[in-house]
Amino acid sequence: MEPFPPGATATYGDAPIEGTTVFTGTRSQQGYRINKLAMSLTDPANRAAFTADERGYMHKYGLRQTEMMLIERRDWSGLIAAGGNVYLLLKIAGTVGQSLLQMGAQMRGETLEAFLHTRPGKAGGAGGRKS
Amino acid sequence: MARIVGGIGCSHAPSIAHSYDKGQQRDPMWAPLYEGFAPARDWLSQLRPDLMIVVYNDHMNRFFFDAYPSFALGVADTYPQADEGWGTRDLPDLAGDSRFAWHLARSLVEDEFDPAICQEMTVDHGIFSILPLLARTPWPAPIVPIAANVILHPIPTPRRFFRLGEAIRRAVAGYPADLRVLVMATGGMSHQLHGPRFGFTNPQWDNEFLDRIEHDPQSLTRLTHQDYMERGGAESVEVIMWLAMRAALGTSVRRVHRYYYAPMLTGYGLIVLEGTAG
Repeated sequence: MEPFPPGATATYGDAPIEGTTVFTGTRSQQGYRINKLAMSLTDPANRAAFTADERGYMHKYGLRQTEMMLIERRDWSGLIAAGGNVYLLLKIAGTVGQSLLQMGAQMRGETLEAFLHTRPGKAGGAGGRKS
Repeated sequence: MARIVGGIGCSHAPSIAHSYDKGQQRDPMWAPLYEGFAPARDWLSQLRPDLMIVVYNDHMNRFFFDAYPSFALGVADTYPQADEGWGTRDLPDLAGDSRFAWHLARSLVEDEFDPAICQEMTVDHGIFSILPLLARTPWPAPIVPIAANVILHPIPTPRRFFRLGEAIRRAVAGYPADLRVLVMATGGMSHQLHGPRFGFTNPQWDNEFLDRIEHDPQSLTRLTHQDYMERGGAESVEVIMWLAMRAALGTSVRRVHRYYYAPMLTGYGLIVLEGTAG
């Protein structure tokens, strides 16, 4: 039995999905330096070192000038475009005192307040459903 | 002989961990979630399984892209909590069962699954965010964790997860000790955490998935990763891990409980099932 229509595969090809940057091998290679730095922030000593001297820390991980500037600007959309993985970018955000909600609002081009207004749980009436 | 006595499919999310740690069990936004999970906790406390096999994913805490396993099986006797970048939570480590886990390793390889075998493994919110909603400490039973790649494409296919569940079922049946085993899979329902589509949820699709995982799980193996990402958001593709739990229960199931709630960034889903095929 052919499970998929002709030409379709279970694994992701490169077909675009609107508003979405699928984390493929190409992106992982592109963002490797950024992601490796972010991974190191799972160690509290490394978080302290990054906080004390961001530039120096980024040099140690061999980041390119453009990548360093994206981190310094906390430019989450730019970091995604540069191959950053969101689960790793979240560690950078946490270390510099930003939340996932703040990251998300920025990536949508909204203020945090405007974004929260779009959420059922904040606007009231989300409602749980049991069945 | 060991046997599978039940299955749980549920979301995992850092937000659940945060709400738990902040004591928001009665907060208007969070209370429905805790109430929705309570029947599962009651069921689990009566079931008293001897062992829990948990299929989940690590979020760049134990494994990195230098060497990223498609499947990683823990064979340790203890699994400490991972520091995800903001310190660990005040929760006890997970106990393991290395004897069963090595049996599972051998049985999976015999079945042509070849996981990375991990004698040291930290575990992140993939298990720790949801466990306190399902059980009180001390944790009710040892855990055997199976971490899957659902982040770096190409990720294993939906059908592969279904077959993993079938292989888990065979491994349990082939274990000589009389263990009663719970199989659990955690993975977020609709959500997207990056880009202009950040915050996307699709409750209609999530509820269709809950219907189909119970009644027609094979149909979910005929969807592509692209289908899952279009319907539920890029990061929601991880919900395919639930197929392993469902397949482990056998062909027919009885639903014990189901719950769904989507107040913020994701659909928090839960299904509790018992196999009826013997």
